[in-house]
Amino acid sequence: MQAVEGRDRLRCMKNHATAAEFDAALIARYDTTGPRYTSYPAATSFHAGFGEAQLRDCAADSNDEPIPRPLSLYVHVPFCMSPCFYCGCNRIITRDVRLAERYLASLYREIEMVAGMFDRDRQVVQLHFGGGTPNFLDARQMSELMDSLERHFAFARTPTREFGIEIDPRYADAAYIHALGALGFNRMSVGIQDFDPQVQQAVNRIQSIEQTREVIDAARESGFRSVSVDLIYGLPKQTIDGFSRTLEQVAGLCPDRIAAYGYAHLPQLFKAQKQLDAHFLPDAATRLQLLGRALEMLGAAGYVYIGMDHFARVDDELAKAQRDGSLQRNFQGYSTFGQCDIVGLGVSAISRIGNSYSQNARELPGYYAALDNGSLPVARGVVLNEDDLIRRELIGELMCHGKLDIRGFAQRHRLKFPVYFADSLTLLEPLKDDGLVELNNEKIAVTARGRLLLRNIAMCFDAYARSGTQVRHSRVI
Amino acid sequence: MDPVNLNPGRLPSVPNPIADDGTASTFCSTCAFAGACLAAGYGKPELQELHCLVEHVGPFEAGEHIFRTRDPFRAIYAVRGGTVKTAVVNREGHEQVLGFYLPGEVIGLNAIYPEHYPCDAVALEAAYFCRFSFPAMSALAARMPSVQQHLFRMLSKELGMVSVLAGDHTTDERMAAFLMDLGERYAARRFSGTRFRLSMSRNDIANYLRLATETVSRVLGRFRDQRILRIDGRDLEILDQPRLYELASRVMND
Repeated sequence: MQAVEGRDRLRCMKNHATAAEFDAALIARYDTTGPRYTSYPAATSFHAGFGEAQLRDCAADSNDEPIPRPLSLYVHVPFCMSPCFYCGCNRIITRDVRLAERYLASLYREIEMVAGMFDRDRQVVQLHFGGGTPNFLDARQMSELMDSLERHFAFARTPTREFGIEIDPRYADAAYIHALGALGFNRMSVGIQDFDPQVQQAVNRIQSIEQTREVIDAARESGFRSVSVDLIYGLPKQTIDGFSRTLEQVAGLCPDRIAAYGYAHLPQLFKAQKQLDAHFLPDAATRLQLLGRALEMLGAAGYVYIGMDHFARVDDELAKAQRDGSLQRNFQGYSTFGQCDIVGLGVSAISRIGNSYSQNARELPGYYAALDNGSLPVARGVVLNEDDLIRRELIGELMCHGKLDIRGFAQRHRLKFPVYFADSLTLLEPLKDDGLVELNNEKIAVTARGRLLLRNIAMCFDAYARSGTQVRHSRVI
Repeated sequence: MDPVNLNPGRLPSVPNPIADDGTASTFCSTCAFAGACLAAGYGKPELQELHCLVEHVGPFEAGEHIFRTRDPFRAIYAVRGGTVKTAVVNREGHEQVLGFYLPGEVIGLNAIYPEHYPCDAVALEAAYFCRFSFPAMSALAARMPSVQQHLFRMLSKELGMVSVLAGDHTTDERMAAFLMDLGERYAARRFSGTRFRLSMSRNDIANYLRLATETVSRVLGRFRDQRILRIDGRDLEILDQPRLYELASRVMND
């Protein structure tokens, strides 16, 4: 899935030796709503004035750079067999596999048109299939889709390329995963959320540990380099004991990476969530305890807290990259990959090309209509101005490095830092008083206390958060 | 967009796309003629008295033509801000890039003899100019030998530029010579000669250096890996000038 605000490649993490300090009272005090900074500005700033012509210009400009960035493709498969009630993604519930054929026909057209905008020497070093449920497509369709992508784009031949896919273990078996391995996929992300049967029933997602283990084992057999799993805390009927058991079971599966997202209950925004009985949602105190437990248990199980919702094994590339200072943040969270232009394909997919963000039509009818018409399905977007670019980099540094070298940054962007960011620094002052950041003339450094409140810190530098144009964001914790 | 940055929190960018606009009594700091005029004892007020009207024109947006091949020659243009490429279209319909012009440099000089422009001039980014009507310029040159000499100097420099490309040199050498030349030209205008923006597309660079487009990126990538350069988007910094100059020297000495 791509996050609601658009996923981003915010530059990341140097040495993040500081562990996160969990102070429930402090976190509760800062528990407001705010953007996740997977993009800056957030998707709420995208506008319909950005269309095909603008997208083509941005792509052409990106080809013109002295050393054009490599490409990262995101392919959205919007279908799901069954509705999970917590879902905030753009998806269509169906068992009608013929819908996939209709969708693929348009997707192929889009792939051809979009690939034509990029020079052939721009290699695809990263590919991610998200949804929805990418494994809604059967092995034959997957093979056809990969074939189409490979024909039109130049896939990197290096073993370091990252080809990832999100898998719903309830609808995939070992044979299917082996087929994906043969197609070149080498990383898998598996949805779990919670193994507690009470919770699974409440969110309408019944998934056994055995099913989950089957796909993970199959991935390892077929040479997948990395397996990550997603958990969610804050779901209805979740208890400390039940979630602790889940965490234990998850650690037993030995994934390389774990993401633990906070559930954002926004039923006005995400229709699926209306089916969920809000009565059974844990209260704020329990939510915090769930998060605290995750930090504690995953830490004990040998996982390093990378930042935001992400954990990785000490020997995982992410943790290594964090240690050697080469970690990046992107679409799918954190990544060891450098700067790419992100090309979103499929309904609602978000792209980041050059200094722009853009998003395809969010509903199938609009997506189909554009392509039937011979047009690109881009529906909205934004071109970042200089201030956006400066703030995006700064926020990226904080979200990732947890640190900003003020002198270097000011020099690189030709800023009188205290003047340019006068408002932001004023907003940051109370956070400094609360011990979330250290701040002096040379650096901003997120403290252990501040690590779980990165978004609050970043918001001080968000020009849009202040002007009140950002709405509909999830809670910070 | 206003060429002068008014944000109090920003320092001028590198290189400043437009140094300053001059005043009623001082020249723009990038003026192609200020040196020649001042040397002859003519300040801006004196020139105004001579009715030597210099017109500030622009911005021309990226891709916009300043003049086209075969347009009648009326004026030469000194670049105040931005970058310009000149190009001709050959008989097969392919564009051939002739050169790139930076702030303080002059385009249109090669139109003096044929009395029409022998090439296209296209802005590579928002570009600003001083437009010197040529009849007025000629009149000025007639009264001020130093201006005439300066014109001749510019003309011969223009002729000399082509040599960067002549001869049988490796791609690395040609690229090094190209970057070194750009750096020196920026430095000559008191901009940074080691940190500047490549506002031309890699296609234009490839075309100019007679290389394949991918080769331009490959060579620059190699320079980057060898820590000769740092490249961030279009921003370039020369990290190892001696090494770059060493590579360029074979070309420059030819």
